[in-house]
Amino acid sequence: MLTVITGGSKCGKSSIAEDILSRFNGKKIYIATMEPYCKEAHAAIERHREMRLGKGFETVEKYTDIHELDLPDRCGVLLECACNLMANEMFSAGEKEPVRKIIKGIGKLSERASEVIIVTNSVGEDGIEYPKETMDYIKNMGILNCALSERADRVIEAVYGIPVMLKGSLWQ
Amino acid sequence: MILIIGGAYQGKTEYARSLGISDICDGASEGTDRIWKHSAVNNFQLLVKRQLEAGLDPLLEAERLLQKNPDILIISTEIGGGIVPIEKSERLWREAVGKVCCFLARNSSRVVRVICGIPTIIKETGDNN
Repeated sequence: MLTVITGGSKCGKSSIAEDILSRFNGKKIYIATMEPYCKEAHAAIERHREMRLGKGFETVEKYTDIHELDLPDRCGVLLECACNLMANEMFSAGEKEPVRKIIKGIGKLSERASEVIIVTNSVGEDGIEYPKETMDYIKNMGILNCALSERADRVIEAVYGIPVMLKGSLWQ
Repeated sequence: MILIIGGAYQGKTEYARSLGISDICDGASEGTDRIWKHSAVNNFQLLVKRQLEAGLDPLLEAERLLQKNPDILIISTEIGGGIVPIEKSERLWREAVGKVCCFLARNSSRVVRVICGIPTIIKETGDNN
């Protein structure tokens, strides 16, 4: 089962994702993609760590190249989030075809895991014209979100903690 | 409490008026104690901005508002989509609005999202929890 969860900033994406993973019966793995590059990132990472405490998730930090991950068979995986992964691939690793690489990586996770939950972000919604590299990022995120959603069994938009179903049903 | 959300100029206020509510104050300028006395507050996202600028905790303020005016209708423009702003105060505002609106949504008996003038009820509970 592949689930994509999108939404804006601080709108409850993580708690919905963690709820779904918590209900998974089996080994639960959390793939953290945020590089702790500044104080705010540290704070965000810490906040998410606290949220996950006591839920029995094993945390794996992987900032790029998620296809390299060797997951146990039939586990449940929550990847948070595709927007950090994309930024890392594009701006830290200088990857030329980040969309294809990430889709391939998630495809590989899906071969091993029984439950895959991807948290992403609606980054193209402010209508602001940014410099080219940011516009490329927005475009890549748009293509990635569409491609993942096409493959997904369910797509959820988190709206202030409320799961709005765009595809599939919440508990299926 | 009822929460009405959506992007800018999507018909949120018109929708609130269609519910028969005319006593709507503006979160951009109205004083806190006066908001407690109105049936509705518009531009809630700007009220959060003012609270941040005044060094207040918007989440505590929202809790107080809920205590003082539990049946209030709140209209807030969604600002959390898009690229993370470079300006720190903009970033903190965006995050605060998200957090506070999650709190409001949790405590609302009804949450309505208005897009292109079309209201969609995304949460409805029987009681007023």
